[in-house]
Formats: sequence, structure tokens, C-alpha cells
Amino acid sequence: MDELAFTPSAPLSVGVELELQLVRPHDLDLARDAAELLARLDKRKLPGAVKPEITESMIELNSSVHTRCPELLEELDQVRQAVAQEAGVLNVRVSGGGAHPFHDWADRRIYPNERFRSVVERYGYLAKQFTVFGQHIHIGCASGDEAVRLCHMLTRYVPHFIALSAASPFYQGEDTAFQSCRLTAVSAFPLAGHIPYVQDWAEFLQYFARMRAYGIVESMKDFYWDVRPKPEYGTVEIRVCDTPLTVRRAALLAAYAQALGALQREGRARRASRALYMVNSFNRFEACRYGLAGSLVDPDEDRRKNLGEDILETLALAAPHAAALGCGELLEELAAGVRIGETDAGWLRRRRATQGSLADVVRDACSRWEKGA
Amino acid sequence: MSPEFLPALPPAFSQATVFGLLVVIGLLAGEALRRYATLPRILGYVLAGAALGPHGAGLITDDLLFDLRLLIDLAIGLIVFELGFRLDYQWLRHNRWLFVTAVAESLFCFGAIFGALVFFDFRPLLAAMAAAIGTATSPAIVMLIVHDLRAQGQITERLLLLTAVNSVFAYVLLTLLLPFLHLQHEAGWEHALLHPLYLLWGSALAGYLACRLMLAIAAWLGKREETQFILLVSMVVVAVGVAHALKLSVSLTLITFGVLARNLDKGYAVLPVHFGHGQQLFFVILFVLVGASLEFTAFNIAAAAVVTAYIVMRFLGKALALLAFGPLSGTNASGAGLLAVALVPLSGSAVVMVRDTTTLYPEFGRELAAVVLSAVVILELVGPLATQFALRRAGEAHPGG
Repeated sequence: MDELAFTPSAPLSVGVELELQLVRPHDLDLARDAAELLARLDKRKLPGAVKPEITESMIELNSSVHTRCPELLEELDQVRQAVAQEAGVLNVRVSGGGAHPFHDWADRRIYPNERFRSVVERYGYLAKQFTVFGQHIHIGCASGDEAVRLCHMLTRYVPHFIALSAASPFYQGEDTAFQSCRLTAVSAFPLAGHIPYVQDWAEFLQYFARMRAYGIVESMKDFYWDVRPKPEYGTVEIRVCDTPLTVRRAALLAAYAQALGALQREGRARRASRALYMVNSFNRFEACRYGLAGSLVDPDEDRRKNLGEDILETLALAAPHAAALGCGELLEELAAGVRIGETDAGWLRRRRATQGSLADVVRDACSRWEKGA
Repeated sequence: MSPEFLPALPPAFSQATVFGLLVVIGLLAGEALRRYATLPRILGYVLAGAALGPHGAGLITDDLLFDLRLLIDLAIGLIVFELGFRLDYQWLRHNRWLFVTAVAESLFCFGAIFGALVFFDFRPLLAAMAAAIGTATSPAIVMLIVHDLRAQGQITERLLLLTAVNSVFAYVLLTLLLPFLHLQHEAGWEHALLHPLYLLWGSALAGYLACRLMLAIAAWLGKREETQFILLVSMVVVAVGVAHALKLSVSLTLITFGVLARNLDKGYAVLPVHFGHGQQLFFVILFVLVGASLEFTAFNIAAAAVVTAYIVMRFLGKALALLAFGPLSGTNASGAGLLAVALVPLSGSAVVMVRDTTTLYPEFGRELAAVVLSAVVILELVGPLATQFALRRAGEAHPGG
């Protein structure tokens, strides 16, 4: 089947992928028991899927497709419990967060399958440095054209997702001063960035055909874009989020994406413009570095504003849609957090400050994820 | 006339010189075996020790071995402490079958050896003591191979857990057999009863006190890796010294210390510390000295059948328990098999246990020695190979390790 044929899906349906850290309790460094854990989970009847990721220290939870985020949350919670339970049997702990605070990337071992081996072959140390943990959110689209439009629209809100999910302040044993340092590891890949400014699916296909003819890409998987269409699922995928510390927050982010999708369908979102791509990397950096306190340049309004405020404005705009989609409460919870400047990165830094070591931070993050709230 | 600034001939080399030299030679032998034969380094250390020992070149004499006993205890203390420190009570809570597996592994192994020895007409007490000693896997060999291969994974974790459990089992059982030995030799019942009580409770108490003291100091020191590293090492040294001076069991004291340090530390005052290269130094010296103390003379053809039975039944006992209970605790059959192979190394402290008995009751000790020490010689050489093979086969060795 043609990978690029756009399989339509129910508009505004949602699904998430969560990459999780496997941690060994005795020194709180990353473990490498993904295969054993997956084998155990395989025997249980769970909704969605649990899959391997590039190194043996990660697993990925895939939710099934939902139309209402509270149900998504319920499902994630069920899977979380199962994962925590099976991990306990193997003496492995599980944690959210965008990056392990102190693991040594050189120690990572690549999960033994063909695709991951070829990634290592091609990218060398980047592949092992890519031991970072993200949440991907899929929003259903009825057509390829709609997906292209949604991609452009969501690019405007990429800084929102970065700041709201930020959960990787520490890396290689140091405080990076960033709220999310994870995206830096992604940026190093040659095909990172954003979708070109194409106007519809046909134009996108032309672009793709050209890139394939040059031998730059073989499949959609080769693009590491912040937001990319996923034609086989019929979705647009937001890929900039750090995995939050709780499944609850993962569901909040999914609800926000869903509400933005609804805004777009109503035609009430700001129109995508080429000018946005001029300021995109500045906005993205601000979000990674300063989180909610960062600034955001809005080329439509021709001004620089506070990112947190921009999020609150957007949330207010999206509120009626959220209510209709059944996720009003979730978005209110998200807004309440923004108002007091609460993020997972902040929580991790506070643990460091009170507990004194990064090992404690990891232990507490594990407990938080395993408890689910 | 020679000038006064020159030393008298032959120069009087201190033991430190000999010690340093032993480490260098052991190191070279280990690296050579690894480079030219891809054998575990540990074999090089042992062989170097054997070559230099009383039965070889004689550079290491029996006196020197006796003088360095504290050093051996120190090395074992550090290793056993680290082993205990990795033991997480939470794991056994989440995986009860694992606890069952560990206990079964010790019981089956003990039973199998005991049965074999009784079959060969050994007196029950002798058979029981030899079987108890045989139950333990060598913490030192296992830890060294794990470090050397940078092994990580389920088999490795279980190997360490089972080693800790069977070592404690062996030691406690052996101690509980002491009263019978005393009574058989017509010692008073007070003596018979108090000796094991003193050993077990004394060692446990010493470990507990060391742990409490360390946790208190660690909490005050704060979470800096450098200071905590020094604290940990020095507390281990103190604990070994105390156990040594009070004639307690170094292994039991230190494993108690390690396990409690992990599991009583509710406020997480102690950081996960890596002993690193410093520990490697202790590994080298320990195994050179172990090699030197191997009793090659213990071998005799007459005992060959018994020794073979001892080794085979020991392995079968372990394998049977692991195959029976392993799957319930989350290991598949091939994993259980590899685990049984990895557990082959016989504890070098068997030598010490036999020595202790020899000093108490020379006659009895000699009988014990004939079987156990021969098995030690064989398994000290085969054991590292077995563990290395199993961890590699399980895919848990680091590709560059």
C-alpha cells in the first residue's frame, strides 16, 4: 500500500504515544529491560499497544483512538497501572519526564531490531543521544488537505506545547537552565524542523517525491518535524512535547490539542502565514529555555508577548469547543496551572532543591508516575 | 667499604613492596589472558597467585598469607557490602515468587549435595557442613565478572540476588551446625549453644550499628558524591575491622550492613555510590591471594568420584530449583538455565570456613578439606568461565565490556 495515501479518519479524534523511561532502582540510572517488560505486557489484555523504542531503556505506550479525552485519561491510567505492576516484578521502575537527568548516553544500548540498527548506522552518536522521551499527540483529519492546514496552524502553537509539557531541566548530570532540553537532541537531526510551506496535500506529495528522488528520505518516518502529517493514520502528529510526569498531564495536553483542532475547523484560529516560519525558531527557543515565562513573537499582531498569557488567551478562545468535546474541566485544570506558572520542569527543580541530588529527583519522578497523579 | 647512604645488601623490602608487586603481576596475567585467550581476567589473577604461592614460586608464603588476612577480609567486605547494598526488599515484595525461588535454590542445592555425600558414606554432620559450604555462590567472582562485562539486565540482577541469599543461607546454616560439631567433640553445652548465637547475633548487630552510624553521618554530611564515597569506604573498613577483632563473621556483618544501608535509609540520605576503579584494585589483590591459597595438594584420585558428585549435584540442585520456580518469578526456561550456570562459582570464603573449622577441630577440618578444597580449586577456575559464558549468552554483557 502506498504509504502516502491519506487514510481519512474521524476529525478531532485523538490518540497519544508516550515514551517512558525505565529506571533501575539500585542506582536510579536507566535500565535496559525493555524487552522483558514488553514480553510480560504482551501477555496482558491492554487497550492500545506497548512498543519498543530505539534504546533498551525506553518503552512507548500507544493509546487507542478516542473522541473524548476523559476516556483517554481513563485508558492511560489503566495501562499505567499494568506497566507499573509488571515493572515491579522485574525490579524496574518507570518514569515520565523528557530526559533522564544523569544517564551517560554512551552506555545506552540500541534495541535489537533492523530499523533501529540502521538509524545508529546512519546517525552515530546522535542515535544514542536521542535517548529522550516525548509525548506525541495525534489529531484525526478527514483529508490530506485538512492535515496540511492543521500542520501549519499547529506550528503557531508549538511553543505552547513545549512550555506546557516541559519536563527536562536536567541533562548529563547538570541543570541545563532550560525548561525542556530534550528538543535540542531532536534538532541535531538533519531532517528536524518543520513542514515546508505547502498549501495542500498534492503540493506536499510533490515535495515528498522530490526529496525521495534526491535520496534524502525514504519514508515519512525520516522527517523529525515538530508537527507532521501521518497519512497512514489519517492524523496530524504533534511531536514537541516532553513526556509529562503523570498520565493526567498527558491527557490535559491531548485535550488542548483537540480543542485547537476544533478551533481550526471552526475557522476561528489565526490563519497560517509564511511570516510565522520567520519567527518560528526564535519562539521555539524561548519556549524551551524559559517555558511559560518566555516570550513569543506573533507576526499577525506584529508584537512580542508573554508566552503564558498567549496560552491563557488561546485557552479562553478554545473553552467553548472544549466543553462541547467533553474536556472543559481538563482545560480548566491546564489553565489553572498556567496561571500559577506550574510545570513539571519546575516540580523537578524543586525536588532537586529539597532533596539534594538528581538520584532523588529520579526516584521521586518514578513514584509520581507510578502513582499516576 | 660501601658508603652509608647505600642500603645494606640484600635490601629489606617491606611487605608493601611485595603487595604492590603482586598486584602488578596479577594485573598483567589478567590482561594477558583476556587479550590472548579472551578468558576472564579473574583467571589470570588466580593463576598468577597460584604460580607465586606456597605451592609455586613461593613468593607468597603461608606467613604472608596469614599477615594479609585482614586485607582479604577488607576486599571481601567491600564486595559483600556492595552486593547487599544492591538488594532491594521492594523487589521481593513485588515478586514473591522470586523469594520462593531464592530459598528453593539454596534448599535444593544443599539437599542435593547432602544426599550425594551421604550416599558416599560421609557422616551426616560432615556431609551437612560440606553441603552448606557448597550452597554459597562466590559473591566476589560474580561481582567481578559483572563489573568486568558491565553486565546489566534481568539475569544479572537475579544472579546478584540469588548469590546474596545463598551466601547468607550457607553461612547461617553452617553456623547452626556448629553446636553439633562442638557436642560431637565433647565441648560443654554452653559453648555449643553460645558460639553460634554469638556469631549470628553479633554479626547482625555489628552490621546494624554500622548502618545506623553511617546513615546518621551521611545525613549530616549531605549529598556530595565525593564525601559519601569516602564515608562508605571508611565505614566498611571500620566494620571489617570490628568484625575481625570481635571474631565475628566479616561476610555476615558486611552483608547485613549493606542490606540495611539500602533498606533502612528511609530518607535516602545515602547516594547510590559507584566504587569504581578503586574496587578493581581490591579485586586483583583478592584473587591473587585466593589463587595462592588454593590447595592443589588436596587433590587425590580416591576422592575424585566424591568431588565430581559434589560439583555435579550442586549444579543440578541449583538448576532444578531455578527451572521449577524461575518461570513463576518471571524467568523463562532458558533464562533459568543460564542463571544456574552463572551461579556455578563456589565461594572462596569456603576456604576460610574450612580453615576456621580446622583451627577448632583439626581432625574434622581435614576431612572436610579433602572434599571442599578440591571442589574450590576446580570451581575457582571453572566458575568465572561459567558466569562469563552465561551473562554473554543472555545478551547482558556490554558489547565493549
